[in-house]
Amino acid sequence: MTPTANGQESTTNDSCVAAVTRRGILRVAAALAPGILLGQQNSSVLARRPADPRRMVRFPEKRELVLQTDRPPQLETPLHYFRQDLTPNDAFFVRWHLAGIPTQVDRCSFRLQIDGHVQRSLSLSLDDLRQRFPPASVIAIAQCSGNSRSLFKPRVAGAQWRHGAMGNARWTGVRLRDLLEAAGIRAGAVDVSFDGLDEPPLNSIPDLVKSLAVDHARSPDVLIAYEMNGEPLPMLNGFPLRLVVPGWYATYWVKALCHITVLDRAFDGYWMAKAYRIPNNAKGAEIPDHLATDTVPINRFTVRSIFVRPEPDEQLVIGRPYEIEGVAFDYGAGIHRVEVSLDNGLRWMDARLDPELGKYSFRRWRFRWSPPSRGQHQLLARATNNEGVGQPTQHWNRGGFMRTLIEDVQVNVV
Amino acid sequence: MKKEILVCLFMTVLAATSGCGLRGSEAVRNEEMEGMTMPRSSVRASRPSSPIRSISLPHDEAFAPPGPGRAAFVTDCVVCHSPRYITDQPSFSRTVWKGIVQKMMDAYGAHVTTADAEEIVNYLVATDGAHRAGGEDE
Repeated sequence: MTPTANGQESTTNDSCVAAVTRRGILRVAAALAPGILLGQQNSSVLARRPADPRRMVRFPEKRELVLQTDRPPQLETPLHYFRQDLTPNDAFFVRWHLAGIPTQVDRCSFRLQIDGHVQRSLSLSLDDLRQRFPPASVIAIAQCSGNSRSLFKPRVAGAQWRHGAMGNARWTGVRLRDLLEAAGIRAGAVDVSFDGLDEPPLNSIPDLVKSLAVDHARSPDVLIAYEMNGEPLPMLNGFPLRLVVPGWYATYWVKALCHITVLDRAFDGYWMAKAYRIPNNAKGAEIPDHLATDTVPINRFTVRSIFVRPEPDEQLVIGRPYEIEGVAFDYGAGIHRVEVSLDNGLRWMDARLDPELGKYSFRRWRFRWSPPSRGQHQLLARATNNEGVGQPTQHWNRGGFMRTLIEDVQVNVV
Repeated sequence: MKKEILVCLFMTVLAATSGCGLRGSEAVRNEEMEGMTMPRSSVRASRPSSPIRSISLPHDEAFAPPGPGRAAFVTDCVVCHSPRYITDQPSFSRTVWKGIVQKMMDAYGAHVTTADAEEIVNYLVATDGAHRAGGEDE
């Protein structure tokens, strides 16, 4: 990855804020009151978005989300929230690894420690971060490494997410680089490790500590966020501070971040050396009968494009124009093109792309379709990024990680 | 005595500048006036009257379905995670379940004896993830 500052905007860039907000409001309105905005459509048809049969649950500071597990909490964002460009904080997915999650934070006594291979250790309060360092903002997708795992065939163990183990938010905080400069990285630094307030329920379970190479940690893209969509982070999303690593899987986005250590050697903690490993190739792919022996820590996103509407098994009406809609994204090269196929991949037609909100953001795409015949139809969508990286028709690994397969959706035309 | 007064004075100054401490509520008003360009909701939410932010988690655990070896499962596994870690899983072979239990022992130091491990694998095979667990997922 060659991060640049292009994806970032100052917090005072009001025109962008306003643009996103206006669009967001329209989307909320569209999601909540489709009958009002799309009055020409038959309301009985609109009611045919199939209910998600999975168990819904309300956790503190959250709306009803799909329950994956309760202890530790893993909650999935229902698909329709992706009709909004920025995922609302109270609908944003939740994923903790260790049952000892922080349920109480004193924002006055909380300190972020920075130590290790530095000239001076720092202990910073939340006010220090706001007052002593310039704010920085980025719109970026947090996506779980195992997002969409339930769609892997053959099935693999782990949280059985559909597409909702991700969310797109505007993160505001300080640049990690600025903190590291204040501490003064000493010569010979190799990795920087990150620890949060969460704790293992047994001492024998390795604490969740992640690391980045020092050059990545020093890139201007990496933030320590104290705000998410203009508000303090929800407790379940990492209040008071969360590491933001745009274009990289959320396993690196350490929640309730409280301790940063600069190391003069490669970090070899369990969650880097043993867990979250992928086959050592660009798409992290392997085949069930020949599992890869050469593995590396998971890193940047693959290229993806998912359908937001229609939802699976949604009912459409023959001859009635329907705006198919989805979101595409990649690791930060930017989406060049999204195509839709209505004939199982024989022919592909370009979808229209909405304006780019930032190279690490969802890129919305649309495709108008009038279903020509009754019955089951399969729609496919594939994205290509600005570096020519596309999506494959086969993709699998034992972890259910880095989903990049061309997605489909089945609809029923009546 | 003199030292206590000094500490008290220091705390007051600190409170006025940081918003943290005894005079936190006054600091809120000052910052709201100075920070006119910030969205009000943001200022208010980040300067609550109490410096403590807390949540209490709901207790919503799945019932561990009946089956051979349930006692070992409930004793050894549920101490660290909810039974939902199995009731939400797809159907796996005995070999896969065995590998998962071994990982819990080797990587996470789960307090599982060899005899218990056998029992737990039997239980996981018998309940078969979401399929015979009365699981609500899928």
